[in-house]
Amino acid sequence: MNLEPTEEQLSLRATVRRFLQEKASVADHVRPLLDDPTGMTDAGWLALAELGTTGLLVPADHGGAGMTMVEAGVVLDELGAGLHPGPWLSSAVAATRALTRVPTAGETGKLLAGIADGSTIATVGPLEPAAPRPAATATADGDAVTLRGEIAQIADAAAADVLLVLASDDDGTGLYAVDTSSPYVAVTPRRSIDQTRKVFRVTLHDAPARRLGPAPAEAIQALVDDVLVASAADALGAARALLDLTVAHAKVRRQFGQPVGAFQAVAHLCVDMYETVELARGGVLHALWAADAATPAQRHRAALRAKAFAGRLATVGDTAIQVFGGLGYTWEHDSHLYLKRLLSWSALLGGPDSYLREVGSQLVHELNPQGADHEHQ
Amino acid sequence: MDFSFPPEVERFRTELRGWLTANLTDDTIHAARRGTADPHAFETVRVWNRALADAGWATVAWPPQYGGRGATALEQLVYAEETIRARAPLPVNVIGLNNIAPAIMQYGTESQKHALLPRMARADDIWCQGMSEPEAGSDLASLRTRAVRDGDSFVVTGQKTWTSLGHHADWCQLYVRTDPDAPKHRGISCLVVRMDLPGIEARPLVALNGDADFAEVFFDEVRVPADALLGPLNGGWQVATTTLSHERAGAARLYAEQRLRLEELVTDLAKTEVDGRHALDDPVTLRRLGELAVRVDYLELLCKRSISASLAGADGFASASLAKTVWGELGQDIAALGFDLLGADGADGRWAQFRLTSRALTIAGGTTQVNKNITAGRVLGLPRR
Repeated sequence: MNLEPTEEQLSLRATVRRFLQEKASVADHVRPLLDDPTGMTDAGWLALAELGTTGLLVPADHGGAGMTMVEAGVVLDELGAGLHPGPWLSSAVAATRALTRVPTAGETGKLLAGIADGSTIATVGPLEPAAPRPAATATADGDAVTLRGEIAQIADAAAADVLLVLASDDDGTGLYAVDTSSPYVAVTPRRSIDQTRKVFRVTLHDAPARRLGPAPAEAIQALVDDVLVASAADALGAARALLDLTVAHAKVRRQFGQPVGAFQAVAHLCVDMYETVELARGGVLHALWAADAATPAQRHRAALRAKAFAGRLATVGDTAIQVFGGLGYTWEHDSHLYLKRLLSWSALLGGPDSYLREVGSQLVHELNPQGADHEHQ
Repeated sequence: MDFSFPPEVERFRTELRGWLTANLTDDTIHAARRGTADPHAFETVRVWNRALADAGWATVAWPPQYGGRGATALEQLVYAEETIRARAPLPVNVIGLNNIAPAIMQYGTESQKHALLPRMARADDIWCQGMSEPEAGSDLASLRTRAVRDGDSFVVTGQKTWTSLGHHADWCQLYVRTDPDAPKHRGISCLVVRMDLPGIEARPLVALNGDADFAEVFFDEVRVPADALLGPLNGGWQVATTTLSHERAGAARLYAEQRLRLEELVTDLAKTEVDGRHALDDPVTLRRLGELAVRVDYLELLCKRSISASLAGADGFASASLAKTVWGELGQDIAALGFDLLGADGADGRWAQFRLTSRALTIAGGTTQVNKNITAGRVLGLPRR
């Protein structure tokens, strides 16, 4: 057991942090892109690619760094802390893991190489659990394949060049690549609580597609877990950055002749935020490690817990606004952007209650398998 | 980043688990639940402590020269996990082993070490710690019990309270004021005192659940031999803050205890019907259990981060102090759910009892509020008023 970061991870963190501070600050980059459906600039994306971040999870033989989710978590933590709005999570984590989790062939290598050098931006969907009917269906006619259907929710579709779609086909579920430039692909922005996260509905009108490979249930579960854990790492970054801003404010804001942080009532609110952030940090680090190093059951267990904690993590945003007072309630102040980032994580793929119930059921089943069997009869 | 344990630590786990399976009886497990008020149970736990000590499993963190195993931090962590998982009783001298023994090892004379430590490990002697006073609770350094040097003795007068096992103890590690004119932290000394000296009276202090696990201890002109001094004269505060440099996994007890408690709750609920249906079929109950399960797991990870930081030479204080706060609130919430669902007499009244005693979790060993003040100042750097 060694839970300390390596020199390499510390240096990766410093590199990303410096880039975000100098080239993609909240005031000069994030706020101007709040209403932009892509949430990115070409220059900003190119810079992230040149730092080697877009290929972090891409295997080395496809031009990437072949690193693990622990390193991706370092980048995500910094992106969350900087409220970064671009498609990094979608392309460098979700799409990359889809291509490496699913046993694919064909153009996979080319896609991965494009993701690694930043020339291709990809996203993947749908990821919702247990949809009542398949969102998209593939039809093969000779060598030509088309997809039809509606993906209710998919991140970063406006920024993406390629959609990786999990669609039903004759063999079950397959992973398909669709170019967003196709006139048969309609991308519509969805209402989101968080303007730093871009979410869309995509309608496929017999859109031309390439089949990359079969997507067995366990591979899809692993992919969903990866996306949950990556999102948790991003949210953790947002929460700890907001904690830092709040504590800094409590040290300098003076009322009644003293810094407000000297009042125990305010100090204890800050400690409560710190407690929540530190509990989440352990969970996120463990889940990031488990994504590549643990058994599938341990990986899923850890991802489920990170997600189930999302509601509690969002209270860091609530409490921060309380400590900032009226200032924190203004549009001009960044608190609400952080709260919204935390709330969009809390709402992602279902609110916390269903995940907490699932953790509860899992606990009961682990301790009392007979009782759980009785439920299923 | 690696959360897994090396094979030699897993071998340590297997060896300990095997020994516990072979030696820990149901009678001993039940004795642990009955507490110190029942003389038979108390004696059963002492016999268990002797068995542990004789097999080398009582003080794994102690160095070998004092009868320990010099266990590594990860072995200590596994020790806490396994003994709690097996429902082994807490050692009678838990405060002695973890808090008093380190000070004796660091400051004691050779004869003190050899006379006191092995008997403490076997629970042949029962130890108490004279710290809190009626006017010195959270603000411990303001203690007033005074010791005045008179020839070859200290003459001790004052009162201690919340003294665990005070009415059973053979020995007391006693903190006294030896220099009333010095700043409050600098006028305190530590004495190792036999409890049968004339002038000492220990009265059981009955807690809110009716049990008497604590005592009030009165000292009336008690003549204590001068060689009872542990550590430097007026250096008692540094003795009090001695931590066992080889005790590095104390935090593991925190999560292991709450995990067991939560598992016991699920086991009790599996036999329970609420409003005509299985308690565990209720989605609201499952949600509440899920919330507690996440917190137990996250407390475990927090504790492990603290241990890992100490191993890496970093400061594990921030996570350790936080873990204590989380542990207390979590224990109270588990107890509250148990009582909400099982009521006053479900599961033999266990959850009603714990609903009451769990109030101590955010008070004993430093209140949550004082702990938060310390975290606010020392970790977050917030100003003091």
